[in-house]
Amino acid sequence: MVAIADSVPKPVARFRFILDRRNVLGSIMIAPAILYVLLLVGVPFLMAVYYSLSAYTIYDPSWSFVGLANFEDVVQDPVFQQTLYNTFIFTFGSQMLGLILGKFGALVLLRPFPGRKFVRALVILPWAVPIALATVAWQWMFDSLYSVINWTLIALGVVTRSQAPNWLGTPHLAMLSVIVVNAWRFFPFAIVIFLAGITAVPQDVLDAATVDGAGFWRRNYQIIMPMILPIVAIGLVFGIVFTFTDLSIVFLMTMGGPVGATSVLGFAGFQTGIVSGDVSHGAAISLFMLPVLFIVVVAMLRFIRRREV
Amino acid sequence: MGSGGNKNNRSVTRRSFLKASGAIGGAAGLAPVLSAPFVSRAVADNKSLSIVQWSHFVPAYDTWFDKFAKDWGDKNKIAVTVDHVPVQDVPARAAAEVSAQSGHDLFGFNGSGGAHLYRKFFINLADLVKETEKKFGQVTTIGKQLGYNADDGSWSAFPDFYINFPGMYQKSLWDGIGMKPDTWDNLRIGGAKLKAKGKPVGISLGHSNDPSTTWRGLLWSYGGAIQDAAGKKVVLDSKEAIEAAKFVAALYKEAMTPEVLSWNDSSNNQYLASGVASYIVNPISAYRTIQQSNKKLADDIFVIEPPKGPAKQIMGAASEFYGIWKFAKNKEAALEFLKYYRDHWPEAFKASEGYNNPCFANLVPKPMPILANDPTSTPPTKMAILQDSDKWSAIPGYPGPATPATDEIYYAFILNDMMTKTATGQSSAEDSVKMATQRCEAIFRKWARRT
Repeated sequence: MVAIADSVPKPVARFRFILDRRNVLGSIMIAPAILYVLLLVGVPFLMAVYYSLSAYTIYDPSWSFVGLANFEDVVQDPVFQQTLYNTFIFTFGSQMLGLILGKFGALVLLRPFPGRKFVRALVILPWAVPIALATVAWQWMFDSLYSVINWTLIALGVVTRSQAPNWLGTPHLAMLSVIVVNAWRFFPFAIVIFLAGITAVPQDVLDAATVDGAGFWRRNYQIIMPMILPIVAIGLVFGIVFTFTDLSIVFLMTMGGPVGATSVLGFAGFQTGIVSGDVSHGAAISLFMLPVLFIVVVAMLRFIRRREV
Repeated sequence: MGSGGNKNNRSVTRRSFLKASGAIGGAAGLAPVLSAPFVSRAVADNKSLSIVQWSHFVPAYDTWFDKFAKDWGDKNKIAVTVDHVPVQDVPARAAAEVSAQSGHDLFGFNGSGGAHLYRKFFINLADLVKETEKKFGQVTTIGKQLGYNADDGSWSAFPDFYINFPGMYQKSLWDGIGMKPDTWDNLRIGGAKLKAKGKPVGISLGHSNDPSTTWRGLLWSYGGAIQDAAGKKVVLDSKEAIEAAKFVAALYKEAMTPEVLSWNDSSNNQYLASGVASYIVNPISAYRTIQQSNKKLADDIFVIEPPKGPAKQIMGAASEFYGIWKFAKNKEAALEFLKYYRDHWPEAFKASEGYNNPCFANLVPKPMPILANDPTSTPPTKMAILQDSDKWSAIPGYPGPATPATDEIYYAFILNDMMTKTATGQSSAEDSVKMATQRCEAIFRKWARRT
């Protein structure tokens, strides 16, 4: 009797039955991700919203409600207006450059050549290297005293020592420098996106276009690009969100200088909210990103959906 | 098979399981009672003290401090851990510990207004400061600016040390033109002559600590200031501040190069070490590094008091203090360690090679070791002038206290930008000062509502 009873493990069967239900299993599998988003993104986000509407500082952690007063203070600051402008230039400049580099990189890596696998692995490095390490290396390349870029330009006779660009000391060049570093960091991701997209384009479509007389440029911009646009748009959404909220490159390379020319929202929010202890104004600065990101993401997602339809 | 199994293979029956778990539970319950006489000492020994502070610019100091703290812990049977964080990470670390209401017992803070910003979270160290004053003389002005709260007489922090910013110059170059960089005007005139010889002056106009400190010194030496002595009002918009900004423009154009616009805190050190700079303003770590890498150049580098201005001779300084969190688990141990550390402060002074300067009058009696007679320097009295650096050093907030508002002005690089805009011609001195004043006033108004 015991042996018969033991051979029918009912609870396991019931459990298996539950797991066989698609909606239950799906919920179980997605639960950790939802929990993660709720606890580590949702709660801090809601706290940031409340901080921005309160009088909370490290000196006086008071939750008293002040309405939109912090936002009014922030908007009236002329330096903030420049910071907002810088953030747009930094984000869209680096995404544009990253996409162009990514497209060219993908086209190069599609063609077979000796050592292609090694180069493909190497290209991922900028993405994989810790940003602090990479930025320090770039800082030396843009250094006013020891810039290897300037050394090369001088050695090639392009500029003289006195004409050598002061990469991080001239406002426009400093912005260009941080854009270049961010684009360098982003372009491996763009290559992966483009490679995934291009390899998914059916070969017979390309062959038919070639037979019809389409050259390299026409194939690329009238056939491949429209077909892979949804996946590129997804990559771009990621890139924009990550760049708009980034402070590490500016913090490590320029500290927002010279004269605030490279200060971006993430950096300004950190300096005000954490370093100076004015959490409420810091949160207000950081939350300025929200409507912009919301509009960009919604517009991109609508565009993607329309393309898919 | 798995769950049914062969009856003979079963190693655990319900009865044996209950027996075993009962025995284990009973033993666990009785263990504290039975072992109490033997373990009470061991429990006492498990006390701990955790300290966090910046990674010192003189690495040997950290080595000394870690051993010093560990030895104290061994003597008192307290496990001491010391964490060192990069100086720029200190504010974020403090904010995180306060938010979590948990962290290190003793917090070594770097930044002038921090003690006031975190006032509600630090225990009052007034007794410790009073006791220290009795033993080692009066607390200095910088020490008072750092930790004292005038409204209730409390001390949010124990002033540990300040870092002075003297001038450093290549003596042979300045002797060659028959001048000395002892006043701001001489620095500009002599600097222009030396720039023509490829040896410019190197003072940063970027976003970092060194220029924030140096240009405050210049502003004060011209008789200007950001706030009044009471720390209530912004007084930056003055003819003295405009003159100071005009001077920076002249110094930049005549004696410096555009490279300074992008400098961080190590750039002027590298400039001096490369042999190019004729003069920089920096803590003595710049000179110490050159001593190790280029003895000949180090011998030619002399340390000088900051340049005199039309109003006074004064220079900005950096500072360090210790606070004990109210939520610290081992406040007593932290306090005892601070007392022991204070009593052995001259050892800390030596370990820092004269970099850490005392905040109490007689903490390191004169002649001070190393500074009065440094056998590694030629001549050995090269740094003797630093013994009196408390007479010409002040921290952000001067002539008033360091506050959260003065700290925010410091971290927003408002003064640096005021000087840079004027120097590069982005705006006139008058407009730069006006714009900087408006930003300072906005920050003061904001903190007035919150403090």
